[in-house]
Amino acid sequence: MMQHFPVLAVMLLFLSAFIVEIFGAKSKAVAQGIAMIAATVSAGLIYALIKPVMIDGQIISYWMGNWAPVEEYAIGIGYEVDALSLFFALLVVTTFWLSGLYSIGYMNKDHHLGHYYTLYLMLSGSVLGLVMTGDIFNLFVMVEIMTFASVALTAFRNFSEGALEGAFKYLVIGSMGSSFTLTGIALLYAECHTLNMAQIASILAGGLSPTAIAAFGLIIAGFGVKSYMVPFHTPAADAYTVAPTSISMIFSGMVNKAGVYGMIRMIYIVFRAMDKGTVQQMLAIFGAVTMFLGVTMALAQHEFKRLLAFHSISQIGYVITAVSLGSALGLTGGLFHAMNHTLFKGLLFLTAGAVLKQVGTTNLDKLGGLSKRMPHTTICFLVGAGAISGLPPFNGFASKWIIYQAIYTKAVESGKFVYVLCTICALVVSVMTLASFIKVTQAVFFGQLRKEHENVTEAPFSMRLPMYIMALLCTASGVFYDFVNKYLLHPAANAALNISKYIDAMMGPGYAANARVSDMSVEPVAFSYWNPIIWLVLFGVLFIGAALVILGGRNERGQILSSSDPSQAKYDTFFSGEKEMYSQVGGSDLFWGFKSNWKGYYKFMEAIHSGIVNDYASMAVVGTAVICLCMFLFMR
Amino acid sequence: MEILKSIFYILVFPGALFTMVAGLWLAGVDRKVIAKMQKRIGPPILQPTYDFFKLMGKETIVPRVANRLVFLGAPVIGFISLAIIMLFIPIFGFTAFSGSADLIVILYLITISGVALIVGGSSSGSPYAGIGISREMVTMMSYELPFVIILLTVAKKVGGADLVFSMDAIGAWQRANGSLLFQWSMIPAALAMLLVIPAEVGVQPFDVAEAETEICEGPLIEYSGAALGVFKLNTAMKMIIMTGLFTSLFLGGFTTGIVALDVLIFVAICTVLTLLCMTTIHAVTARLKIEHLFRFYWTFVAGLAMASLILVWCGL
Amino acid sequence: MFKKLINNSAAKSPWIYHVNSGSCNGCDIELVACLTPRYDAERFGFKLAGTPRHADIVVVSGPITSQSKDRLIRTLAQVPEPKCVVSIGSCPQSGNVFKGSYSVEAPLEKFCHVDVAVAGCTPKPEAIMEGLYKAALLLKEKREAMSK
Repeated sequence: MMQHFPVLAVMLLFLSAFIVEIFGAKSKAVAQGIAMIAATVSAGLIYALIKPVMIDGQIISYWMGNWAPVEEYAIGIGYEVDALSLFFALLVVTTFWLSGLYSIGYMNKDHHLGHYYTLYLMLSGSVLGLVMTGDIFNLFVMVEIMTFASVALTAFRNFSEGALEGAFKYLVIGSMGSSFTLTGIALLYAECHTLNMAQIASILAGGLSPTAIAAFGLIIAGFGVKSYMVPFHTPAADAYTVAPTSISMIFSGMVNKAGVYGMIRMIYIVFRAMDKGTVQQMLAIFGAVTMFLGVTMALAQHEFKRLLAFHSISQIGYVITAVSLGSALGLTGGLFHAMNHTLFKGLLFLTAGAVLKQVGTTNLDKLGGLSKRMPHTTICFLVGAGAISGLPPFNGFASKWIIYQAIYTKAVESGKFVYVLCTICALVVSVMTLASFIKVTQAVFFGQLRKEHENVTEAPFSMRLPMYIMALLCTASGVFYDFVNKYLLHPAANAALNISKYIDAMMGPGYAANARVSDMSVEPVAFSYWNPIIWLVLFGVLFIGAALVILGGRNERGQILSSSDPSQAKYDTFFSGEKEMYSQVGGSDLFWGFKSNWKGYYKFMEAIHSGIVNDYASMAVVGTAVICLCMFLFMR
Repeated sequence: MEILKSIFYILVFPGALFTMVAGLWLAGVDRKVIAKMQKRIGPPILQPTYDFFKLMGKETIVPRVANRLVFLGAPVIGFISLAIIMLFIPIFGFTAFSGSADLIVILYLITISGVALIVGGSSSGSPYAGIGISREMVTMMSYELPFVIILLTVAKKVGGADLVFSMDAIGAWQRANGSLLFQWSMIPAALAMLLVIPAEVGVQPFDVAEAETEICEGPLIEYSGAALGVFKLNTAMKMIIMTGLFTSLFLGGFTTGIVALDVLIFVAICTVLTLLCMTTIHAVTARLKIEHLFRFYWTFVAGLAMASLILVWCGL
Repeated sequence: MFKKLINNSAAKSPWIYHVNSGSCNGCDIELVACLTPRYDAERFGFKLAGTPRHADIVVVSGPITSQSKDRLIRTLAQVPEPKCVVSIGSCPQSGNVFKGSYSVEAPLEKFCHVDVAVAGCTPKPEAIMEGLYKAALLLKEKREAMSK
């Protein structure tokens, strides 16, 4: 019974995509209803797998049409769900379910919702299939569906400025990524004569031939494009900005996680290359460059969603650096950060969407003072900003903390100075992330409210509910990270490092032993120093102490006064005695003190990010060439 | 009994009350000695205490555009995070909550107090505060780079082949091998740390964020009464925390065996450090511009720290 | 429990905010002279604050020109209680040589209650110091009246 769940979840989404197109074209409610039911059922099916896979350690395998292996050669398409797949599948279902919920309120002014939901279901189904399939060509098919659904959704609001441009950039760079992947897969097929990942893994366990190395480089580059690793990050900024926000959230929550998943699956399972020093260093450097470039570009942005897009790139840099280390600690940190990124970046995109929906713009120069009009959104945003900047007790802190520890441990163990630089980069990027969210806080939620936004109201409840859920999850997974580690991260990291079970589940018992696949033993990661419960208790005790002093001193201390009466000058902000109405200053370019020292760097960045697709395509080609070259020169 | 002991630790020593008293003492000494350096009589040592209590007795006005919850909550959050840090900084042999101290956590908690100031200032809606928080944030980015390198240097020096981020382990290492300051490869890092302290606390050449003569105290502009008092207290508490952190990182390793005496020596060393790296620099320099501050920290101070890191990495 | 301490502190740490309402700068220089090593107002806890929100004593100099009147009133309103207003020089008291000008609104008493007035054109730093100290003592009285 259980083994049908993964394939049912995927098929359901694809089928309902067609049903929505047939029956939902006329009525908004029907389209919404079908999409939500499909998303809910599919999410339920995946959640039902937590117990057998994560806790009992089963691996679910399923042969489509019962085409089981013949004479130890896999000929059919197999679905295989181990803890790693399920970990990402959980992220995917959570994201698209919340996005669907958010779409109800967010998309209600748009036309052609039938098409929207069709594409939404296609995208959800493809990413879900991508993370659960056991067949490498099926993986490619899912990547293609994902890319084209994403392109169409990017251009969904094609009346708005830049939508078609963003979609076109996405289309060009995305198809290049798909072609790299396809070439790699073709090479791999020529080498191994099979498309089943478990079988390829056992065939390649004897050592990588030059063909396999070429395939490895191309596939890594292909998934690098999907996860927007530098230098493939270029279409991300436009696509995230112009897509409807519910879709931006899907992009950052699922689509680039699909890229990360592909990388982990290839490095750790198919090619077993995680203990090769070259791969580790190369990807760690790519990751460090990605996080640094993303955050510095974000500091220069004047557009809320574009800024978030660059932060997405930056955070993926953390994930790539962490998973490239090849250690259990690094993998745990990377997976944890991938999960946290899904949560907090989703939350931030939702708040951006609420601002866009309620105010009509996300230009930081035209916003300000919304905290009094949208208090709930503000609080949710502050939670998300705290989480992404890695402030305790939110989840970003826990995962970043593991990542720092993992990189520095790697540096100390291997004696390579480059990892020290990566550690410093990771720590400094965290502060810069904080800086750019301070900028958003000041420019959007605090500061002076603009005259034309006097009548802005809070977002409707159906849009706020996903925000509450995400804010809650951000805090909960930061405080109870032990729980998360035990039931999600440890099984997933374990599955990535011990593949003989994965191979046996697909190809029959004993297959892995014949192929002499080596396993790594994984000890559960111990979090000895950071115990958020203690800190929270301390926080609570001190808070109660402070509250007692404040309340006890009510007769002694001065009063706290506030008033919303505009005639009372006492409550104006002080602007050298001027009237309040003359004191408006925008907050979108806060960091000139920082940027003036980086003029040369920003000039260079401006030249690189020219907005011309030809440049971006050549950057992608150069990036792929560098990856393949590194592999060939240093791997043997 | 254990609970009472913990509550004593949290609220009295070495938590909230001790940090407050020691911080106000350092702030008082700082003001008095500056006055002496400028041939003035100067305020009494208790002046910061008087300031604090006076502010407690004044009205707290919440501006109309401010978000009341954030505006009043920010100083309290900053205060709590600072009071917690002191619990995890060992005072020579004595730690209130041993085993859970971690350098990275301390780094982030210090950041939280800065963020509290920034968010509080930001929520007040004043344009001066907008400029102030920008400068505060750039200052934070400036000193964070050298600070991070210093922490990594100490971790590598103490840990050798293992990874050690724990304050306890650093203390234990110093008890076995002598203070880290007397390792010559650590001297550049210690110097860099001495330069990080004034920026972290925000004293004269590095107080660009709160420049009262040009941007009306920046983030604090709209604060009055008790909320302002708590922010002023936070600054004073940062003095003892940063100098205390220096003492634990670089000058740990000996103990008299009596906690009270240890604490006295600890506070004495902190006072000397305050005079060295805050008062003297304050008395002889004028305020920097924000671009200069950033460049100074990312080149000179970070270079010092990096030199130490490379020396330590070479096994010296 | 801290009532007495708070009340006593009110006199010991008066922070000054200085408003120049069209002064010729003479009084302003003399006020700054109070902070120099020779007079050292800081020994009584005086400190120049950057914003009226931090101030206990607002020092007003100059004959209140029409342009500065609104700004002066708004600034005075933004000072939290307990507060004192001290006028320095003859200008805010009477208008001094500017009296009768179409653009001068002196005296200051028309717009707010003045607690201490230091006369002179310009008053000596000693006189200013004494005036400010009297204002500091007044602050304590006001605080006691407030906390009853």
